[in-house]
Order: sequence, then structure tokens, then C-alpha cells
Amino acid sequence: MPVFSRRNVLLVLLAGALILPWMGNPYTLFVGTLLFIYVLLAVGLNLLVGYAGQLAFANAAMFGIGAYTTGLLQVRLELPFFAAFPCGAVVATLVGLVISLPALRLSGLYLALTTLAFAQATQWVFLHWENVTFGAGGFKTPLISFAPLPVETPTGLYFLSLLLAVLLTLFAWNVAASRIGRAFVAIRDGEVAAESLGIDLLRYKALAFAMSGFYAGVAGGLYSALLNFVAPEGFDLFQMVLHKAMIVVGGLGSVTGSLLGAGILVFLLEALRAFKGTQEIAFGALLLVFVIFLRGGLVSVLKRNARGWEEPLRLPERRARLLARPGTASVPGE
Amino acid sequence: MLFSYLLVSGITTGALYALIALGIVIVNKASGVINFAHGELLMVAGFVAWTLHVGLQLPYGVALLGTVAIGFAVGVLTDRIAFRPLANADLVSLVLATVGLSFILKGTARLIWGGKADYLSFPPLTQAEPILLGPLMIIPQQLVVTAGALAVMIAFAAFFRLTTAGKMMQATADNAKAAKLVGIRTDRVYMMAFAVGSLIAAAAAVLMAPLTLLYPDMGFLLFVKGFAAAVVGGLTSLPGAVLGGILVGVVESLAGGYIHSSAMEVAPFLVIMAVLIVRPTGLLDFAKVRRV
Repeated sequence: MPVFSRRNVLLVLLAGALILPWMGNPYTLFVGTLLFIYVLLAVGLNLLVGYAGQLAFANAAMFGIGAYTTGLLQVRLELPFFAAFPCGAVVATLVGLVISLPALRLSGLYLALTTLAFAQATQWVFLHWENVTFGAGGFKTPLISFAPLPVETPTGLYFLSLLLAVLLTLFAWNVAASRIGRAFVAIRDGEVAAESLGIDLLRYKALAFAMSGFYAGVAGGLYSALLNFVAPEGFDLFQMVLHKAMIVVGGLGSVTGSLLGAGILVFLLEALRAFKGTQEIAFGALLLVFVIFLRGGLVSVLKRNARGWEEPLRLPERRARLLARPGTASVPGE
Repeated sequence: MLFSYLLVSGITTGALYALIALGIVIVNKASGVINFAHGELLMVAGFVAWTLHVGLQLPYGVALLGTVAIGFAVGVLTDRIAFRPLANADLVSLVLATVGLSFILKGTARLIWGGKADYLSFPPLTQAEPILLGPLMIIPQQLVVTAGALAVMIAFAAFFRLTTAGKMMQATADNAKAAKLVGIRTDRVYMMAFAVGSLIAAAAAVLMAPLTLLYPDMGFLLFVKGFAAAVVGGLTSLPGAVLGGILVGVVESLAGGYIHSSAMEVAPFLVIMAVLIVRPTGLLDFAKVRRV
């Protein structure tokens, strides 16, 4: 295995992330947590757009639904964070499933616009259902505590986000390398061909939408806890373009690419925080430039020039043999 | 009285939505792409008109011409930047490119005009008193705007049917390969489609400016309304786009008047979702019969 393989590089980064709370200041801790949240968002969106090829624009809305559900359950029903947070993820997953229904009839542009309309309708609900959502001003969420554990809130939230980001990234890698990932890619590359191979379009499209909804819901719950504040404008079009730019810059159809894209764009987001107009120009231009000049994203450069960055759509043979059970599909070896 | 008032104002805004929808349909017919930056073209045109008319004190007519010319140029640029380099790309790339462009335009507008005030207002065209026609109350401003929109539509229809460029566009939309075979330079036609679509958007923006306030985030909402209108005609029918625009305008106005003012914003989204889910090919499907 080459020294600069994906696994080694990411392990070093992970080690760095583990010691960061003792090295950095509160601001780096905040940015770190934000980064893990965006990793979750980018990985989930990439499963849907990059792998399954569904051009959906509802990710920011799912993110918002996760944040609003988590926050409102704490404020309105006084549930503790650790009960509200899973509910947020579940609700976002269910909404993802519901959105997948029109996706079965619509594709391409029509899907893009229906999901865009859905995202705008969600914004409208956040803004105008004031009895529940507190309207345009948003609301404060209670400060969460990790009570029995001897950690302060920011550090605890940092490690919780890190843990979830690592687990769900590993999960996404495994999904991508499984039968499900191959089904997603087959649907992306040709729906009719995929169907003729026995892939159930209904099931896999619904699965892709539900998974990306789940990732966004988890991210939303963490985001509400990180900011202690939830307001409609956090989940608008700008957020949607941010997620899209992440997966395009990193690489569509690559979990590793999502990590790269999230890392670079969170850094840029923070560097340009003071200037909304500049942020918009920068992210729009990144999207445009990568789509035109480097359609595979940054990860395609790594895959071409460094060894150990490949992402085959199957498990490494050793692990596959361990997992293989009689009756399941055999894994094609090389 | 309320109903007729809402109907008239719905038709006025509807005529403007129809212009937005026309631009979307022209681009889609020729190139098979939806320009997600269409709303931002409109927004930028609105600000350009404001600079010419309010900032530089030019007469309204001159501002109109100047804005339309700039709209044409921005359309050509859109084609060069976000469409032509992607001629062989998949739909995801094409859509993301125009989304990227829309954010570049929005950010640029925010940097140039965003600092002045949250909302810029455009002076009204006429100060005349409302005209009472039996039970109808018509505000002259609305009359001027509707007439302007109608004039743009007629001019466009004439261009599309009578000029060589228009006929080339029709031929390319019908069958791009065959058009190429008979010697039409289809890449020019695509450029023309983006330019004309953007020109109509610019005209719509100048007509709309006196009725609304200008702000950098206005584009997307207008795009969605125009798109909702275009969907009614199945995204390829020009008369369908006009009809759809008026439908969206009237639905929106009635929803605002009878349900709640906040219902205005959500009405077009519901129209889009309903039409797409129930009849994805548009309401004017029967109009697709080929004329011999």
C-alpha cells in the first residue's frame, strides 16, 4: 500500500482531528464541528446526486427539517437533545421518502424543479407557520449538556459530530461498494438498462432519497445544537448551492470527494464570512469552473496521479469473503 | 369589486410572468436546457434600469433600450460561459453550470447595488388617477405595463415567424440534426436563443421595476414563477407560456386576496408541483398535433 494512499492520509487527518480540542481555541473547535456537519451533508448528497444521479435540490430543506425538528422538540415539548436529535433525523428521512414519490415519475429537469419548489415551500412553512416555527426571527435552542461525561458542551459536540461523521462516512463507503451502490450507479447511467438488470427503480430511488434525507437530518440536528439558534435563512438557496458546490468540487460519485469538497468549502466559507456577495460569487464560480474544466472534481486528479485512492464499487476481496454468506450475490473478483 | 380588482392586477403581473416564461421556453426549445440563471438575468436588468433611469436620470424609454441591449449581451455571455463549453455534457452538469452562473450574478449585484439600501425603488411611470370602467377599477400604471408586455410578445411573435433568424430557431427546435444538414449554424442559433430569452427578461424587468422593489434576492422567486407558467405549456409551447403566465398571476392574486397575503408566495410552487405530478407534459398537451 503506497504511503500517501487514501487510508493513510485520512487516518493522519483523523488523528489530527482527535487532538484538535487540546491544540486549538474555541473558534477552531467551532469550525471543526461545522466541517463535520458539512461532511455529513456532502456525503449524503453525493449518494443521491453523484451515485444515484437524481438531480434533487431539496438537501438544504432536509437539513432545515432536521434542525427545526430537533430544535422545536426541545423548545416546544421540552424533550432532551438526545431524544429530539434522533427524531429530527427520522423526520428528515421520512420527508426524503415522500419526495422520492414524484421522483419516480419525473426525471432530469422536472425533478430538479419539483424539488426546488419543495425546498421553497419548506422555507415558506418555516417563515409563516409562526405558531410552531417562530417565523422569520427563528428561535434559540437550549444549550445541550453531556452531563454524566466530564466534557464541556463545545468539546462534547465536536466529538459527537466527529464520531457521527466518521461512522456515516464509513457506512457510505460500504454502501457504495455494495449491491446498493452498484444499483445506484446503474440507475444513474441508464434507468431502462438498470431496470432490465432487475434493479427495482422504486426501491432504490426511494432508498437514495431516504439516505440523503437521513444524513441531512443528522447534520441539521447537530447544526441546531452548534449554533443554539435556528432560523429560516440558514436553510435557503445559498445553503443548497454550498452543498452542491462541495460535491462538485470534491467529485461527483465519490465519497472521498465529498470529504475533500466539504473541507475546502468550509475553509472558504469561513474565510469569506464577512462578505455575502463575495461568497456567492466564489461558490458560483467554483461550481461553474469545476463543471466546465474538471468534471470529475479534485478526487479525479488524485485518482489519476496517486496510488491508493481508487473507489471500486465492490469491497476488497478479503473483506468480501468474510462477509459472503450463502444465498447472497457473489462478488466479482479480479 | 374586490374580485375584479384582483383579476386585473393578476392579469398585469401575469403578463410579466408570461414574458419570463417566454424566455425560459425559448431557451429550452432550442437547447433542451432550463437556464436557472434566468431570474438573476431579470434582477440584474432591473438594477441596470435603475442605474440608467434613477442614477443617470435618463428618460424611461432610453433606459428601456439600454437595458434591453445589456440583456442581449448578458444572454450571449450566458451561452458562451455556461452552455457552449458543455455541449456534450450531461444534464446534471448543464443545470449546475447555470446554477453557478446565477450565484455569480447575484453576488455581483449584491456587491454593486446591495450596499445602497436593502430595497431600491423605481419611480412610477404615470401618476394618473385610477380609471373606473363600470365595475372595473383599472390603475393606469397596470395598463401601461400590460400594454408593454403585450407589445413585447407581439414583437417576439413577429420575429419568430417572419424573420430568417426566427425561422432558423424554429427549425433547430424542431430537429437540430436536420437543421444542421441544411446549413443552419446551430451553435449560433443556441446563442441567439439565450440572447433573445435574456432580452425578453430584460424588457420584463424594466416593465416590472415600477411595480416592485429591487433587491438582489428577487431573481429566484421570479424565475420560479416564470417556470411555473412555462410548465403549464409543457416547457415547449410559446402560447402555453403566455397562458400559463396569466394563470399563475391570477391564481397568485386571488390566493393573496381571498386566503392570506402570504399565500401569494407559495401559490406558484403549488402550481408547479401539482402540474408536474398530475400532467408532466403540460396542460396544453393536445396542442402538440402537428400542422401539415
